Amino acid sequence: MTAPKRWVSLTVKIVLLTLLLLWTLVPIVWMVLSSFKPNSVITANTPRVFFTPTLEHYASLFSGGNSLWPYLMNSLLIAGVSTLIAVVLGCMAGFGLSRIRIKGKQHLAFWIISTRMAPIAAVIVPLYLLFRYLYLLDTHVGLIVAYLSFNLPFAIWLMTAFFDDLPPDLEEAAMIDGATKFQAFRYVVLPLMTPGLVTTAILCFIFAWNDYAFAQTFSGPSTQTIPIAAAQLLTQTGIDWGKLLAIGTIVVCPMAIAGLLVKRWLVQGLTMGAVK
Amino acid sequence: MALLTGKPSARRQGFELAMMSPALLLLALITLVPFFSIIWMSFNDVSLMGGLTFEFSGLDNWQRVFTDPDIRSSWLISLFYFLATVGLEMVLGTVMALLVYSLTRGSNIIISLLLILMFIAPVIVGLLGRFMLDPSHGLYAWLLNETGLFDGNILGSVGPAMVAVILMDVWEWTPLVALIVLAGLASVPEDILEAAEMDGAKYGQKLLYIILPSISNILLVALLIRAMDAIRFFAIIFITTNGGPADSTKIIPIRLYDIAFRFFDLGYAAAVGITMLAFSILVANAFMKLLKRQEKRS
Repeated sequence: MTAPKRWVSLTVKIVLLTLLLLWTLVPIVWMVLSSFKPNSVITANTPRVFFTPTLEHYASLFSGGNSLWPYLMNSLLIAGVSTLIAVVLGCMAGFGLSRIRIKGKQHLAFWIISTRMAPIAAVIVPLYLLFRYLYLLDTHVGLIVAYLSFNLPFAIWLMTAFFDDLPPDLEEAAMIDGATKFQAFRYVVLPLMTPGLVTTAILCFIFAWNDYAFAQTFSGPSTQTIPIAAAQLLTQTGIDWGKLLAIGTIVVCPMAIAGLLVKRWLVQGLTMGAVK
Repeated sequence: MALLTGKPSARRQGFELAMMSPALLLLALITLVPFFSIIWMSFNDVSLMGGLTFEFSGLDNWQRVFTDPDIRSSWLISLFYFLATVGLEMVLGTVMALLVYSLTRGSNIIISLLLILMFIAPVIVGLLGRFMLDPSHGLYAWLLNETGLFDGNILGSVGPAMVAVILMDVWEWTPLVALIVLAGLASVPEDILEAAEMDGAKYGQKLLYIILPSISNILLVALLIRAMDAIRFFAIIFITTNGGPADSTKIIPIRLYDIAFRFFDLGYAAAVGITMLAFSILVANAFMKLLKRQEKRS
């Protein structure tokens, strides 16, 4: 490549990269930044980058009548329990599904993945009716079941992909040395599965934590999660942006950090093992 | 081993079956019961008005699904929304991946920054979109106003509202496509690229004849993953326009939600839901076929 040509391509690259980063980051940075602005700055007619930061929005979230604590606890409890069940059962089933040789395995796998792909709006309708009959509306159990409907197939599928990557030679060697299948699984395979388990758990937790549609439909006064708290700030009389952006920051930041921890396995996780 | 334990049988695979059964039983319970319920509901007039009532109504709901002009227009809006979001995400995601791939330094940190978007709850994406576009104090609304591009309430205008909700989805999910494509780019044969460069191939030629063909499979994976999520989620539109203004962003899940929980016509909503399920099963089927093909290749 000649020198001027290289300059052109370098300039193009820098321009594109700048645009990409601005497009991606400006809304997030603006959200976090604005959550520390006093109301007078948020509602000013011209956007302001410099201001005296304040914690008033965060403070007001955790004090007074409608505190965020119960919402936070509901979110942690519901997302946590549904993740735990999905990962434990998904890990066991993933191992079984990866190692078993039966006819119709493809059909079984297809059934599992198709439950994960079911549109949420379509799932909500029968679940609402069933929950009403079973008195599960406005209960933690109801939302945990609703989240399992997408997290359980996801966990089974993803764990299967992780087990598929592990050659069965290891277990077979252990069994030749006298280990039972369970011992081989427990002491040889499972310790090697930490990345798979952590990735699956973090993604399941994020999916449940981030849900809005199920929570909006099935939760009531005693089970509302954080996304509901955010949506409740949209009122006819005006929106308390400061509080809303503070909640947004609280919802997003922990998940972003957790997600980045499993960055190496993220593509595999988010494509359910289709891409390694 | 076969000599010691006899021929492969259910007994020999008992451990695998035992490991699978708790998850599969639970999954069957929480998916098959709703599945049969939704089918049964679609043949009934299920009303929530004044207590829950069930009344067999034959094919009434199904007839409405196929004749209701509102449903037809919602499917058309969905189709447009679907093609626009997934199309833009595929094109921009590929460009993004090629750009990051071409960097000699700093690609790691840029990937991390892009990744953050995927962890944002869609409902927060919608709320943030509303904040950025707020006519009186939104940053983007202000920018559009100052540059003379648009003046007014973006989410309240037919047309701009659609563009806005599409771009919110594109903003959040393009990095996922980029990440998948980047994984594919790692498998592009370096030696062939170098040979092509020696022969004086231009970037466009390399892209068209070497890079794109070798990542075609992975592009399909990205397409299917995005396609199924585009029909699965509706929180962004739910929280921003809720289908408005004048039904211009009323994609099919929003319409369904309205039918079920605003008009309390659960039987009809069930019939609409089944048509959505049929669509997602088609996509899932394509996904499985692709996976099988990949397994054969490797």
